[in-house]
Amino acid sequence: MQLVASRWFRLVLVTMLVLSLQTTLLSEVRFFGYSVQLMAIFVAVAGSVHDVRVGAIVGLVSGFMYDAVLATPLGISALVLGAAGAGTAVVLQTFREPTWWLRILVVSVAAALSEILLPLTKAVVGLGGWLSPRMFAVSLVTFMGGLVFSAPLIPISRWTLREQVSLGRR
Amino acid sequence: MAQNKTNLTRAVIVLALASVFFITLDLSDSGSTSRIRRVFDTVFSPVENVSRVVTRPLSGAWNAFRNYDDVVEENDRLKEQVALQEGAAVAAAASVRLSQELLALNGLPTLAGINSVTAQVIGETPTNFSQTVEINQGANSGIKVGMPVLNAAGLIGKVTEVFSNRALVMLVSDPDYALSVKVVTKSSRTPVTLPPLPTEDAPTVDSVLETTETSTTSSTTTTTTTIVGFTPSVTTVPAEVVAGGGSNITVPIASQLSVRETGILEGRGPGSRPIVRFLDASTRADAIEVGAPIVSAGGSRSLAPPDVVIGVVSRVVERLGTAGPVLEIELVADLSNLSFLRVLLYQPITESGK
Repeated sequence: MQLVASRWFRLVLVTMLVLSLQTTLLSEVRFFGYSVQLMAIFVAVAGSVHDVRVGAIVGLVSGFMYDAVLATPLGISALVLGAAGAGTAVVLQTFREPTWWLRILVVSVAAALSEILLPLTKAVVGLGGWLSPRMFAVSLVTFMGGLVFSAPLIPISRWTLREQVSLGRR
Repeated sequence: MAQNKTNLTRAVIVLALASVFFITLDLSDSGSTSRIRRVFDTVFSPVENVSRVVTRPLSGAWNAFRNYDDVVEENDRLKEQVALQEGAAVAAAASVRLSQELLALNGLPTLAGINSVTAQVIGETPTNFSQTVEINQGANSGIKVGMPVLNAAGLIGKVTEVFSNRALVMLVSDPDYALSVKVVTKSSRTPVTLPPLPTEDAPTVDSVLETTETSTTSSTTTTTTTIVGFTPSVTTVPAEVVAGGGSNITVPIASQLSVRETGILEGRGPGSRPIVRFLDASTRADAIEVGAPIVSAGGSRSLAPPDVVIGVVSRVVERLGTAGPVLEIELVADLSNLSFLRVLLYQPITESGK
C-alpha cells in the first residue's frame, strides 16, 4: 500500500500517460515531418522543478519505458533522458530563483539537446546512420514543442513527484 | 534527508548501470530484453489503446487540416494512374502466372508458395531516430521476428518486435536495415535473331499432326516495357500449323538473359534513398542503367525470399580503385503512406529462435 502511494508509483503511471500521448497523438501530428518529443520535455520539466537526482531518476525510468515500446536497444533512451533530466536540474541550480520563462527556456533547450544526444549515443554503441544535419531540425522542433508544452507539464510534474509529508510515527 | 539523498544517488547509479547492461544484452540479441518488452506491452497496450481512441479526433483534425489539398490532388492522380494500369495489370497477371508455373515446374521457390498475413498500419514511430511502423497483427497470427513485410508495390521492411496482437516493422529506409539484393542489368551481348530454317530442314509439324493442307500463318508478339534493363524479346508464336514454310522461332539462350549483380541494400534514414553497396568491383558502372530493377537475392541466409521487388536504380555512383559502384535506389513502395501490408510467413534462418 505504501508503494502504491509513493511518488515513484505515481511517476510510472503518469509517464505511461505521457508515453501513450507520444506513441499515438504526437507520432501522427508531426511538424515539418518531425515528432515533438514530449517524453524529453516531461523529463526536463521534472529536472527543472526538482533536484539532480530526481531529474536523473525520472529520465532513466521514463527512458526505460520509452525504449520498451521502441525497436531501439533497451537502455539507450534511458541514458539520454537521464542525462537530460539531470542536466536541466544542474543548470537551474545555478540560479537562485529562476523565473518561469527561464525555466521554460532551459527545459526546451535540454529537451532539444537530448535529441542531438540520442543519435550520438546510438552511434557510440554502433547504430550509426542517424548523425546528419536532420538531427538539428529535429531538436529545433522539440525546442519549439518545449516552449509550448513545458508550462502545462510543470504542475503535473510537481504533483507527480510531490513527497508525502510525514507527520511522524505514533 | 541525508539518508534520502544517498538512497536516490544509489538508485541513479543502479539505473544507469542497468541501462548499460541492457544495451549490451540487447545488442547481443538476447531474448531476455524481448521478454521485458512483452511484459511491458501487456501493461502498456490498454493505456495506449485508450489514448489512441481519445486522441483520434485530434489527429484526424490535424490530418484533415494539413493534408486535404494533397489528398484531393493525389486522388485525381491515382484515378488517372488506375486507368492506365488496368490494361497492363491483366497482362502482368498472366506473366506472373506463367512465371510461377515455370518456377514450380523447375522446383524453384516462389512467393506464391509462402503464406502471408494481411495487417494494417496502426501507428508510426514515435521517435525521430528510427524508421518503424506498428501493425495490428502479432504472434497470435503467426508473425515472428525477421519476417519480410510487403505492400502492394513491393518490399517495405522486416518485423523486428512481435507482441501478441501487434508487431513493429523496421522499414527499408532505416539505417539498421540491410538485405542482399540482385540488380538486373542489361545484357552484355546484343540479342541474336535466329534465321528461319530452310523449308526442307524445318521441323515437320505436319508430320506430327498428320495434316496435309494447311496455310502458313504466324503471329508475332512484341513485349514493350518502360523498365530499363529488361530487354524485351520478340517471340514468334506459330498460331496455326505450318506446312512447308520457314518460321522464326526465338529460342532463349543464356547470352541473351539479363546479367544479375548482387549487393547489399542499406537504408540511410528518412529523406535519403537507400543504397546498394558491395557490388562486384569488376562490375562496369555503365552496365547498370538508371531504372534497372532491384529484387531480393534470396538464399538460405537472406532476410527475404528471392525476387521480391524492391525498387529501381535512381543513380549510379562510380568509385575509384577496387571499390565497386554504389547505387542509389528509388523504392517502389511509398514508405510515407503505408496502410495495408502483407507479412510473409517466411522466417529467415538467421532470425529463427527470436
